[in-house]
Amino acid sequence: MKNFLSKIPEQVKRLSVLLVIIVIGFVVVTSYLVPKDFGVLGHYRASAVQSNANKEMHYAGQELCASCHEDILKTKMQGYHKNLSCEVCHGPSLKHTDEPDQFKPNKPRDRKFCPICHEYNPSRPTGFPQITSASHNQRKICVTCHNPHNPTPPQTPKECEACHGEIARTKSFSAHADIPCTRCHEASEKHKLMPREYLPTKPVKREFCGGCHATDAKSAPEIPRIDLATHEPRYVCWQCHYPHLPEAK
Amino acid sequence: MEEIIQHLTPLLRDVWGYIFPNEVELHWGLLIVLYPYLTGLVAGAFILASLVKVFNVKELQPTYRLAMLTALSFLLVAPLPLLAHLGHPERALEILVTPNSTSAMAMFGFVYAWYLMAVLCLEIWFEYRKDIIHWAEKEKGIKKWIHRAISLFSKDVSEASVKFDKKWVKIITIIGIPSAFLLHGYVGFIFGSIKANPWWSSVLMPIVFLFSAIVSGIGMVLIIYMIVTPFRGKTLDIACLDKLASFLFYVMIIDFTLESLDFIHRVYESEESIKILAYLVSDKLFVSLVVIQVIMGMLIPLGMIAVMKIMKSPAELKKMIYFIAAILVEIGIFTTRWNIVIGGQLFSKSFRGLTVYKMTFFGLEGLLAGLAILALPFVILFVLTKLLPPWEEAKTN
Repeated sequence: MKNFLSKIPEQVKRLSVLLVIIVIGFVVVTSYLVPKDFGVLGHYRASAVQSNANKEMHYAGQELCASCHEDILKTKMQGYHKNLSCEVCHGPSLKHTDEPDQFKPNKPRDRKFCPICHEYNPSRPTGFPQITSASHNQRKICVTCHNPHNPTPPQTPKECEACHGEIARTKSFSAHADIPCTRCHEASEKHKLMPREYLPTKPVKREFCGGCHATDAKSAPEIPRIDLATHEPRYVCWQCHYPHLPEAK
Repeated sequence: MEEIIQHLTPLLRDVWGYIFPNEVELHWGLLIVLYPYLTGLVAGAFILASLVKVFNVKELQPTYRLAMLTALSFLLVAPLPLLAHLGHPERALEILVTPNSTSAMAMFGFVYAWYLMAVLCLEIWFEYRKDIIHWAEKEKGIKKWIHRAISLFSKDVSEASVKFDKKWVKIITIIGIPSAFLLHGYVGFIFGSIKANPWWSSVLMPIVFLFSAIVSGIGMVLIIYMIVTPFRGKTLDIACLDKLASFLFYVMIIDFTLESLDFIHRVYESEESIKILAYLVSDKLFVSLVVIQVIMGMLIPLGMIAVMKIMKSPAELKKMIYFIAAILVEIGIFTTRWNIVIGGQLFSKSFRGLTVYKMTFFGLEGLLAGLAILALPFVILFVLTKLLPPWEEAKTN
């Protein structure tokens, strides 16, 4: 054994000692720093679940609300807010379930609350109801016309802009700004209540655009003209020209 | 809220087109630019050093130890910009003690530790061991003890032992080359694997990073060698400089070819992002990419070295041209990192707008902090050269 040890070069011995110190150091540090229950359930501290569960609860949850307010829940489940939990608008209300009379949940009534979700924002999906609160029934609070538990108003919005804000804004800058939506789209009344089930129509014939843009069309002379017979005859106009901003390239 | 609005309003004036709200301000600034730059210098300097030991390029011998120390100084500083960027730098330790094997970033901690301890420090230790023992014998006081501690109190300077050192320097260098590739290839991998960002997402990214790293490493060692040698009252070894310039030239050609390939590939593929990327290159990045990175940092130095190679020139002119070329290359590679890191955040994921990066002067993410971090490796290198002189005359027989 002694003979074997003497054959090992001095460098290897010294480096081995250093390596052992580093490895032991790493193991010791790791054993101190890594929580004992780390990795039991996954790549995290298992007791993190319990420490989160121990936190004070603030929210009651929709099911608890429904145990007393079943009628409201029923209304809500029929409207577009069916996927929202009660406390999204009313705030954390667990206290209300313990002391219904002492603690009343928040009822947001000013015009600032609903626009948090419904103010016009181009990154919101098309079709999501969006308004410009500065011009939308300025002096009325939202709940005057909209029942928040079933927000589709009894009198549905007259203008397409209420839901199709982005298109309306784009169109307002375009040469088609003065053309009402209904000139090109036919939307039944039901579209306003069930937009996805009753879709509006789109022009499907080239002749529709040709009504203003064909060489022989009886329209204002400044409107650009094309020869329907020779101009890309295999395509419908809106396959190349975006009708809400036709000058876009 | 008011503070955020005041901060964002001036930026919004420079926003062009449509951009999502969370894209206006860049989250990765100068510090994240510095990180791949510093890591690249490490890998490059090491590859240069390996030319001497593995590929037996004798002309580069005067820069071998200097290159190793340069690599070490830059490696010690490389994680600093990342730590400075983190809100909670102490949490960085957690990726080492509870590593997540599916995270490239977490695995990097081990690549870094491996490279620092198993490659660089070990190779330097074997390379210097004999000299350190001899120095310690002649020294007194604290320096003697520092040297003794660095040599791990080793005493054996027998012929067999020195031969063993030399053998292991070579073995470690051979292991070190793929490790250096891994170290910097990883940095490219981190960017190249971000599939949501068309400016970064490219399988060529690790290899482009790697070759630009080698370019910057060779350039940096050339600059340091050319500045330090006259200060020490010594003459520059022109054969060594010629060789350094040659390798710089060859690697730059590979790097330029790879970058051109990446560019042509993107243009030919013409994915939906190509329009916004074209705007990015021709507008926001025009100066830093076209003017500085490609023309100033690549074509001009390539031309300068090529002229020196073709024409017989006096040594003094060669030195000046090599020096200027290396400086230009360093600026060029820095802007390469800049264009990747900053460029990748300047365009909107809607592909319809561009934002702007405004650097601050003070603060942790500011220019001053960046310059301090960039200067730190040189301070460390100065200390290291005092402790482990890499010069030929310091070697003991």
